[in-house]
Amino acid sequence: MALRMDYKTDVWVDWCPGCGDYGILAGIQTALKELNLKPWEVVVVSGIGCSGKTPHFIYANGVHTLHGRAIPFATGIKLANPHLKVIVSGGDGDLLGIGAGHLVALGRRNLDITILVHDNQVYGLTKGQASPTLPAGVKTKSLPKPNLQDAINPLLLALSSGYSFVARAYALDIKHLSNIIKQAVQHRGAALIDILQPCITYNDVYTKNWYAKRVYKLEEEGWDPVVKDPSEREDKLAAAVRKALEWGERVPVGILYWDKTKESLEDRIMRRIPTYTEKPPAMQAIEVNGKPVVDIEKILKIYSDYVVEVGRR
Amino acid sequence: MANRRNEVTALLGGPQGAGLETAAQVLSTAFAITGRYVYSYREYYSNIKGRHTYIYVRISSERLPQTAREYPDIIAAIDAESIFHHFTEAREGTIIIYDTSTVNTKINGIVSIEPETRNRISSLLESSGYEKTVKGALQYAEERGAKLIGLDYKLLLKEFAQKTGKSTYRARRYLNTIPMAATGYLLGLTPGELEKGFRRRFRGREQIVADNVKLAEIVAGYMREMGFKPSPLPEPTNPPDKFLVVSGNDIVAIAKTIAGLRLQTYYPITPAADESVTLEAHENLRVDGEDLGSVLVFQTEDEIAAISAAIGAALTGVRSSTTTSGPGFDLMIEALGWAGINEVPVVVTYYQRGGPSTGLPTRGGQEDLFNALFSGHGLFPKIVLASGDHVEAYEDTIRAFNWAEEYQLPVIHLLDKFLANSIVTLPPNLLPPAKISRGLISTGGRGYNRFDKSGGPITPRAFIGSEETVIWYTGDEHNTEGHITEDPENRIIMHDYRMRKLELADEQIPEEERYRLYGNGKDFLLVGWGSVKGAALEALKHLDEEGLHGAYLHVRVMQPLPKKAISKILSDYGVDRAILVEASVRPLLGRLIPMWTGFQFERFILKWTGRPIYPLELAGAVSHIIRDGSRSEVLRYGA
Repeated sequence: MALRMDYKTDVWVDWCPGCGDYGILAGIQTALKELNLKPWEVVVVSGIGCSGKTPHFIYANGVHTLHGRAIPFATGIKLANPHLKVIVSGGDGDLLGIGAGHLVALGRRNLDITILVHDNQVYGLTKGQASPTLPAGVKTKSLPKPNLQDAINPLLLALSSGYSFVARAYALDIKHLSNIIKQAVQHRGAALIDILQPCITYNDVYTKNWYAKRVYKLEEEGWDPVVKDPSEREDKLAAAVRKALEWGERVPVGILYWDKTKESLEDRIMRRIPTYTEKPPAMQAIEVNGKPVVDIEKILKIYSDYVVEVGRR
Repeated sequence: MANRRNEVTALLGGPQGAGLETAAQVLSTAFAITGRYVYSYREYYSNIKGRHTYIYVRISSERLPQTAREYPDIIAAIDAESIFHHFTEAREGTIIIYDTSTVNTKINGIVSIEPETRNRISSLLESSGYEKTVKGALQYAEERGAKLIGLDYKLLLKEFAQKTGKSTYRARRYLNTIPMAATGYLLGLTPGELEKGFRRRFRGREQIVADNVKLAEIVAGYMREMGFKPSPLPEPTNPPDKFLVVSGNDIVAIAKTIAGLRLQTYYPITPAADESVTLEAHENLRVDGEDLGSVLVFQTEDEIAAISAAIGAALTGVRSSTTTSGPGFDLMIEALGWAGINEVPVVVTYYQRGGPSTGLPTRGGQEDLFNALFSGHGLFPKIVLASGDHVEAYEDTIRAFNWAEEYQLPVIHLLDKFLANSIVTLPPNLLPPAKISRGLISTGGRGYNRFDKSGGPITPRAFIGSEETVIWYTGDEHNTEGHITEDPENRIIMHDYRMRKLELADEQIPEEERYRLYGNGKDFLLVGWGSVKGAALEALKHLDEEGLHGAYLHVRVMQPLPKKAISKILSDYGVDRAILVEASVRPLLGRLIPMWTGFQFERFILKWTGRPIYPLELAGAVSHIIRDGSRSEVLRYGA
């Protein structure tokens, strides 16, 4: 196959017609194209479910992993080769239910990975059970009874976990979405975008019409998410937390919080391993003609604290 | 005392947190500096401070001991509780060093002894007609031939406090030095040699070194005054010029670094975590100013993340691994299947401990063989190998990485708590030179298909990040490009070709590299794996002296099992003379071997107390089976 710079593959996209996932797919492809990234420099990592198929539709490295585990797989890829642009594309059940612990852990680390949450409030591929973002008391058409469990607020979770870039977007506004994805990918640190997405088949409550009446853009109302100096962090974070609570008549989209001053994990590793980005794990020579670069003689020096010389102290 | 031989075993016992490990380290280092070989093994509770812990320190002038040994020649107790746990280990000539100020301590007054243990020891003392006190326990041992050396620890500390100007409270922190220094004195360590041991342990903290040396001198002076004479070990014959002093965890860390591991993930768990801590402490591979790279050690949020990140890393071409024990491995299994279907070379270092569930979290066992072999739904190939000692752990670590890449599959390297917590003085020349083989590698490029099977089951592997190369992976069944397909004909090829890699490994890796037969006696054959090795080899020697001549079949690769050789050897001995030995409540290797060879074992020696199999108890059990016709024996030595 020739290299395709439109980031499209020949795999038939088998989502339901009218699914919000099409908007997210287009948003990613547009962002990659506009960022002019080479397909081999990008890795799209996904979990399970409808959203899990996303990498197969994108002409860039794709790693379709296990339910809930996209973030740890992505973490390993990024740590081993920090020169790759790593994007996680996962469902709300995947990232906020079974994989919620990993989502929190990534925020703590501020590793340079972009998380796209396909937020449609249902588990689509298992036929519409409630996901962690469906509010209590809501009964979508696929549920036999109203939902018993409260919803997680992905933005609040991201803000409190330490993500340095937190945004919300709407799947059907591809231009706005792709623009946020671009900024998230360029941001050096953990970025999370909660992408509101109608599920045309199973969610008859949060529909295209429901969103159309409520969604508004933060930037159009003068919202300034950017932390330019660490001294601003507390105020900006508190404001973002308040804003993240807004839901109902009006639903904000846009970049909620963007801390440009926070150290990424790569920076922290560099302080311990100064050669980390220059010679990351994936790019080190470990052997020459089958002989290890670090042999036992070198080990005796590296591990000199484990060596006892006979007859000496 | 039995040190007219070339070796001696001292048991140091005391409460956790009282510096017992430090004491054992100082003693071991001091002996290593004199050119003696030391094998030390520690037992401990899942507890940080207060519960009983003990260390067998086995010292030899001749060779590196292959295992810890039961029936110590010296029992050196920090506290009363240690006497209660170990007085029954004394034999004719055993020396017990104890604190005279504890002789009236009643076993019922020691809260840190678990009720079951207290009741058992109480009943023994009572039924044998002794007081349920330290004095009673000591009398029990003395009447069975033990020699008692009582020191007044309080008095010694008082003198130490006076001479160093310390408060009594501060002086108490040095308590661990008393029984250790007494042991060192009896074994002929000079104050200068002991000082070297202290200096190494307390690098740069000269005051602590000086204080400890002072206390050791007070102890030695006191012992001399009381008329106890040192009986030194013979001078070492032909000692190496240096030792690598390593635990099982440490040697794996070292071997991984040599093998080219450059990214390790882990989640803290006993007894695996120390390996990662050792690696992290030596993460920068800088030698004489030359930068040879680094090992990134990353602590994840759980074991699921640990294996997932290790797999993700492997996709970029780095040699990666994760390390864990049973409970953590259980969590890793789903991801292991992902590595299987995606043909990812990843190494899982698996230190077995006592299960099921939390089980005996700080004790050992070999009950996870099937968990390693049969983990995961659906079928996918994995290589499983197991190490029996430090040198094997080194070799196997390197083999694990080579095989993982040559056959593009997960490799599980089984070890156990016994090996993890055994510290040896290893002459570096015992470690054979390492070879690295990375298997079939592709630079990728346009049109590269990760799962192209036109050339056979193993597709040259390109790495994510290679120029002009785009790769897809999925946990679904996939086509040559790595895209999902449920096509039946594709499934026939892909699923079969993955399994064929294991058959290929079976053809290509010589069986002789997957087992070893020790000895050639025809009276019996011990069959075992992992940590059984040391006890089995030593039991062979003991039995030889008793006129029973046997052999030991040590299985090192459990998958692919060297079935032809095993089958041949077993048929030579037959069911009456082949004895399966395992630290397990039911014999797992004894069920695996029949699966592949049809040979059904009828003789078993098993131990599941969580404590290691020791050589003398093993020899005794073999003798029962071969001479007395017993069919199975259960071992139980060890507090």
